[in-house]
Amino acid sequence: MALTGRAGLLAALGIVAVLLAPSPGPAVAGVCLLLAAAIVADLALAGAVRPLRLHRSGERLVRLGARATVELVVENPGRRRVRGVLRDAWPPSAGATPRVLKLDVPPGERRRLVVTLDPARRGDRESVSVTVRSLGPLGLAARQASHSSPWSVRVLPPFLSRKHLPSRLARLRELDGRHPALVRGQGTEFDSLREYVVGDDVRSIDWRATARRHDVVVRTWRPERDRRVLIVLDTGRTSAGRVGEAPIPLAGAATEGGGLLARPDPRPVPGWPRLDWSMDAALLLAALAARAGDQVDFLAYDRAVRSWVTGASRTELLSSLVNAMAPIEAELIEADSQGMVAAILARAKRRCLVVLLTDLNSAALDEGLMPVLPQLSSRHLVLVAGVSDPLVAAMAGRRGTAEEAYDAAAAERALLERRRITARLRRHGVEVVDALPDDIAPALADHYLALKAAGRL
Amino acid sequence: MTAQAVESRPTTPTAKARWRGGRWIALLGALIVLVAAGTVLLGPEQEAARPLDPADTSLQGSKALAELLRRRGVTVDRVDSVEAAAALGGDRTLVVTDRLRTSPDDLAAIRGDRLIVGDPFGAAEMAGVNPVGAARQRSREPECSLPAAVAAGSVHLGGIAYSAPRGTTGCYPAGDGWTLISFPNGSGTTTVVGSGEFMTNQRLAEDGNAALALNLLATGKPVTWLVPPDDPGTGDLAGPEGDSVYDLMPPSIPWAVLMACLTVLVVAFWRGRRLGPVVTERLPVVVRASETVEGRGRLYRARRARARAADSLRAGTIDRLTPRLGLASGAGPQEVVAALAVRTGLDAREVGGALYGPPPTGDAELVALAGYLDSIERKVREL
Repeated sequence: MALTGRAGLLAALGIVAVLLAPSPGPAVAGVCLLLAAAIVADLALAGAVRPLRLHRSGERLVRLGARATVELVVENPGRRRVRGVLRDAWPPSAGATPRVLKLDVPPGERRRLVVTLDPARRGDRESVSVTVRSLGPLGLAARQASHSSPWSVRVLPPFLSRKHLPSRLARLRELDGRHPALVRGQGTEFDSLREYVVGDDVRSIDWRATARRHDVVVRTWRPERDRRVLIVLDTGRTSAGRVGEAPIPLAGAATEGGGLLARPDPRPVPGWPRLDWSMDAALLLAALAARAGDQVDFLAYDRAVRSWVTGASRTELLSSLVNAMAPIEAELIEADSQGMVAAILARAKRRCLVVLLTDLNSAALDEGLMPVLPQLSSRHLVLVAGVSDPLVAAMAGRRGTAEEAYDAAAAERALLERRRITARLRRHGVEVVDALPDDIAPALADHYLALKAAGRL
Repeated sequence: MTAQAVESRPTTPTAKARWRGGRWIALLGALIVLVAAGTVLLGPEQEAARPLDPADTSLQGSKALAELLRRRGVTVDRVDSVEAAAALGGDRTLVVTDRLRTSPDDLAAIRGDRLIVGDPFGAAEMAGVNPVGAARQRSREPECSLPAAVAAGSVHLGGIAYSAPRGTTGCYPAGDGWTLISFPNGSGTTTVVGSGEFMTNQRLAEDGNAALALNLLATGKPVTWLVPPDDPGTGDLAGPEGDSVYDLMPPSIPWAVLMACLTVLVVAFWRGRRLGPVVTERLPVVVRASETVEGRGRLYRARRARARAADSLRAGTIDRLTPRLGLASGAGPQEVVAALAVRTGLDAREVGGALYGPPPTGDAELVALAGYLDSIERKVREL
């Protein structure tokens, strides 16, 4: 049950009536009785809400930054018209509009309502409940009830770096066709025989074919296909830190709060979590590797396996990856590198390229990854990719005042430690990609192409 | 992508289900209200404590003393107005406490002995006795020749201390004054005590409190105990004809106020009823990754850690310069400085001081060092 402003107005008019009435005591009783009778009559005559039937249809998947529409069909099996308002309650970050919908369903009919979702972050958003308020004919009181009409929309990562894909694919084709490697390497396979031209490596001459053809013939090699790439996403605490500028503002990104204590924050608005940048880079790498004919697996790990995608075919790889990534959030716990390495070793039996997307934080890596890295790098080719923070670089450059000098010193210390850990990783035979948030995806793709061209996969 | 329609079901419980689920709680609530109302309505009426009242049985009252006096054959008359006290007449002992709102002029008509507690209206000043300060409530020795006090011994006294000019007797000293003063008033003896705590039900059994109170009051004369009136009066703003504000209002106003209260209830229900539940959501944490670096910078700043800050700045610069100068990463200071001096043409001693010298002694020096390191790097980069 709910009352309307009209009931309040009627009660307010009752005050005037009581003031003017010759005998105020009975007047109060009369006004109250009248009001109560009107409300009871209105409630009795309002359309029943509980028997309403709701049907949903619409989109189940939406990319972050796009809008989704969900349709809600309200069917009124009762004998009276249901007139009033309806609220489809979604979590705030689903960005459901409009908040309250007008509803008018004659008996035995159905009406279609449309809710637009403008999600503000990744993950599964579920409708919590649908509440209908059905007004009586006098408009004084309303019946109200909630229905559970489950529907969930999965908000996928936006894959903004797909704009880099065409140029990288062109480089890949170049690599595949026109540039066969002449040196036999670990990741190459026999391509063809051709005539020797001056400048070719004499070691690649195929003597048996030369003897058959009465002409000097060399073997050519090309990067091997059907290699395996395992993308590992570290979802521990270091992935929660926000860096860069959010291309699509995520929920909670805006720091301005309401109230009396609100004041303009001079610091820049926090951008995207490292996790989201890493996902973007992982998606570009996966798309590229799938086109290059490599088998891509995906593992998300902090202290347990958060997600594991394997054996996806070339065509459905990207969709299964974004589906697996959508609900992953950075957990505020220290990642268990030992467990992560064990999980990788258990899953990757054959030699593969392990791309570890984490933060190049020397303290976290020293404690976690460095001791167990040899186990991994002895069996696989390891590539560690970290998103660097442009704010730290900017802090290191500002040295005008004493405060800025101290900040610059702290930033220099952080950058130095980062360079040192990078150098140590490289000494262990690990490839390292350290790039700014906007550059991490193309940088990782380029590094993959370079490895592929060198036949090191 | 469209999916098949999903059936819905109502989640709001029906009135019957709600009654079935909540009837025991409702009954329990009703029972609690009934018991509470019954206790309040049927229970004994609780009176507020009236300190130093001969009819009050609370800790602050003095009924115990009044009973002791009656058992010794002393009549104790409790009166609540000066007029009633004056009407009793005869040679009596008057007890006046500091709860009263009277003036000495009112009491002038009453003759006989007096016991004044705390001297609320300056009656003692007529005999030249003045309050000289406050005294802590504690057990005190008489240290005087007043027979009543000497017989009682130590007594719990304090409150106000008075001066004892010639012609008066001061007992129970506290600081510069005395907490009990006795002097003749023409028709009897006036005794002023700093506080009446020794006469309360709580303290009467301690020390010589009861003895002193009985020595002062049980002199054979009847006692008139003046207390504040039970109903102090509300101080109505009644007009000369005795009409209060309420009498002047039209009779419909209180009813209209009642109706306004009901209107407020209706409006509150209208505005307060939510359309559906409040939806909560677990949001991701918002923390900038650079916060740890900023925190370290603030720590440097707070502790004025110039040596550490300078070390960091120098280490960063050297780390970036060594590959540019074509040196191995483990190059020593001499090699770096020599290479820099050759490449940039800067003074070797100056460069060495900047890169490997002592830590700066002030913030200005730190800023200058940071700027100088910057300029060296720029020079090397421009080569």
